[in-house]
Amino acid sequence: MLNDNNTPLLSFRGLTKSFSGKTVVNGVSFDLYPGQVVGLIGENGAGKSTTKNMLCGLLEPTAGKIFVNGQLVEKNEGHVHGISAVHQELSLFGALTVAENMCIGQLPGSATKINWKKVEEIAQEQLDFLGIEIDTSATVESLGAGKQQIVEIGKALLHADKVLILDEPTTSLTAVEREKLFVLIDKLSTRGIAIIFISHFLEEIYRVCDHYIVLRDGTQVDSGLLANVPQRKLEEMMVGRTIDNANVQHSQPHGGEALRVEQLSSADFKDVSFNVKQGEILGIAGLMGAGRTEVAEAIFGLRPSTGSVYINGVKTENRTVDSMKQLSACYLPEDRRTNGLFLNRPVRENLSAAAIYRFIKQGITKLGFAGESHVSQKIVNDMGIAIPHIEVRVDALSGGNQQKVLLSRWMATEPKLFILDEPTKGVDIGAKFDIHTKIINLAKNGAAIVIVSSDLPELLNVSQRILVMRRGKMVGEFQREAFDSVKIISLAASSNDKGEGR
Amino acid sequence: MKSTLNSIISKQKWLPIALANMVFAALLAIVSPVFLTLSNFQSMLIQSGVTAIMAIGMTFIIITAGIDISMGAILFFCSALFAQLLQDTQSYWLAFSAAIACATLLGTINGVLVTRFKISPLITTLATYSIYRGMAIHLTGAQNIPVPREMGFLGNGKLFGLPVPIILLIVIFILGVYLLNHTRLGLYAKAIGSSARSANESNLPVTKVTVAVYAIGGMVTGISALILLARVGGLQSGIGIGIEFTVIAAVILGGTKLTGGSGTIVGSVFGAFFLVLIDNGLNLVNASPYIYDIVRGSVLLAAVAVDRLSAKRQESRLIQIKKQRLEHNHATN
Repeated sequence: MLNDNNTPLLSFRGLTKSFSGKTVVNGVSFDLYPGQVVGLIGENGAGKSTTKNMLCGLLEPTAGKIFVNGQLVEKNEGHVHGISAVHQELSLFGALTVAENMCIGQLPGSATKINWKKVEEIAQEQLDFLGIEIDTSATVESLGAGKQQIVEIGKALLHADKVLILDEPTTSLTAVEREKLFVLIDKLSTRGIAIIFISHFLEEIYRVCDHYIVLRDGTQVDSGLLANVPQRKLEEMMVGRTIDNANVQHSQPHGGEALRVEQLSSADFKDVSFNVKQGEILGIAGLMGAGRTEVAEAIFGLRPSTGSVYINGVKTENRTVDSMKQLSACYLPEDRRTNGLFLNRPVRENLSAAAIYRFIKQGITKLGFAGESHVSQKIVNDMGIAIPHIEVRVDALSGGNQQKVLLSRWMATEPKLFILDEPTKGVDIGAKFDIHTKIINLAKNGAAIVIVSSDLPELLNVSQRILVMRRGKMVGEFQREAFDSVKIISLAASSNDKGEGR
Repeated sequence: MKSTLNSIISKQKWLPIALANMVFAALLAIVSPVFLTLSNFQSMLIQSGVTAIMAIGMTFIIITAGIDISMGAILFFCSALFAQLLQDTQSYWLAFSAAIACATLLGTINGVLVTRFKISPLITTLATYSIYRGMAIHLTGAQNIPVPREMGFLGNGKLFGLPVPIILLIVIFILGVYLLNHTRLGLYAKAIGSSARSANESNLPVTKVTVAVYAIGGMVTGISALILLARVGGLQSGIGIGIEFTVIAAVILGGTKLTGGSGTIVGSVFGAFFLVLIDNGLNLVNASPYIYDIVRGSVLLAAVAVDRLSAKRQESRLIQIKKQRLEHNHATN
């Protein structure tokens, strides 16, 4: 081992990052010793990725210091200091071979003559070191996600082999591949490589890590030795804030069944069944990649699926967004910027888009959109969308205002069923509260609402019933009286499939 | 058995077009006794030489997920520059070196525009196509310029018993194969075409390599221009019109994907042969000259459709595997 165990390989003090005045990470500090495996945990948006990017040199911290081997680093360039990161989205070349991928950063031989024998050797040696059998001449796209991950790790460690940061490395892996990865992490750790393991699967954290850092809303809540902390405590630290349900006045679900989904299956989920009544708000919880968005998309015919979907008791065939609109159902996608809004068009047009026929009744005799401006202005006032005027382009708006525009657009068609995917993602607290109030009011007026969200406090706050999805399956159901954030999180993140709460 | 065949084809993407060449050649040999003569073969090789050489350059460009529509215009500009300079100065060396240098420069300009302004290569080279052709016409005043008879050596002459265009093709072919498979430039080109994002994240010299492949494309087009000029006997206004279609078709037929990442030089050369073979076949059966383009276009469409279908099959197989994995996951959990 190159380092003595008394000097930390990497330490950081008060790491802080602000984007245009908004602080996303505030004062994260830790000492990382050789062979340590540290779990960096927190909910989505807690600042894990920003912290990672500062540590591997992709982002420059606004404040704070980074030390490598006790030496202050002026400008962190990651791999120069032996720090490498494997990001969620792998930086591999699918069409190239395993060996080519691993060595492309530092090719042996000259520019005009690559030493292919050496390339093979280096790759083979590295794979042997990792203890994995992969054909070095296979193209990367022909490999499974698990092996691709290993190739990326091998590639990373070729360039920098002191600190390895793994960002959500298990999301696309099968159970077997996951276990292989854990064995590999154990092995790397015994060889003195320090590892930062980013995840929100707490079982995985306990399986591979010895230390932990908990982030919440950008600040470091706690850190220390994992053995001293029970999982429940860790979950509470992640979720943090106590949820004030007192101010939410729910209506009782009234009327009949608005949506029933039976045995819906596709490549990403299996046998999903549930129903929603008119006036009811149903939350669907789960981790990223659990298949929640895919279910919503399948309901609206955006991806192929088997099984049946009933709207107001009537079975639907050949669903499309348009045919669902005829049935008074609407879907607000997760990625509003690419899938929902017309970014380079004014607010006015974005508001009227779904109900455009209401405004062109004049037909050919009088082209134009009678009343469009008037109605749009009214919506803007009612919804509290903070813009100077309705001709502002939507891409100039804040996330919260964008979401309000999207929600208002569909409200103009007076739907009876809303499916909202991550309705408050990237939205500030004030707008979040507004949107929640709108959602609750919509339900009071008789609409059925399904909210897909990774923000558990949001679901606990707004919904009357919560379903939990994990790895493509519905694994639990909670009534409002029985809401328990810790139970829901552990159900969503657990790696065994015993259903609970049903 | 079938799966091993599939895996061989997936690794050696030039095999299908090589087989297609053989099958089609065999067919023609049965139909027409003239086909199997040495002179017919030689003339086919010479005919394909111009497009094959350009296809080698185009392969590099398409492998980076780019395209160069302006190749025909570069070809025309070079021919014009060469003919004009030769007429004015009577110096072969000056005309030669100016033409090749200029072709490389025009390719380089394409590359710089593509990387600098991040405009789609299709649009960029569509624009330069018009510019280059216009410049050439401006240069010569839209005149036809004959080249001296001794220029014919480059088009029809022989060296060591081999036609000169064939020798040039062989030399460029060997250089191209080496460049693509044994140098950083070649590997980086494949990497850029495979994933531009990863290439940037891996700090590869994306700009340099991209400019280089367009420059190579320009240079080989310059060489092709001289061969063509020698064969035609002088500058004519129709030179190079539509040749980029033949070149791109040859590359695609050769198994190089338009989306970038993978492709072979051998495949592109076979692709160029195949297109000439089709012309030859149509010629031997006395087909109307008007249907040539229809047949060429249909062949290209068929080739792309077959490729797309097999890709789709593979995709659905992957989805199947994903499904099985998911079920397996549920079972093991």
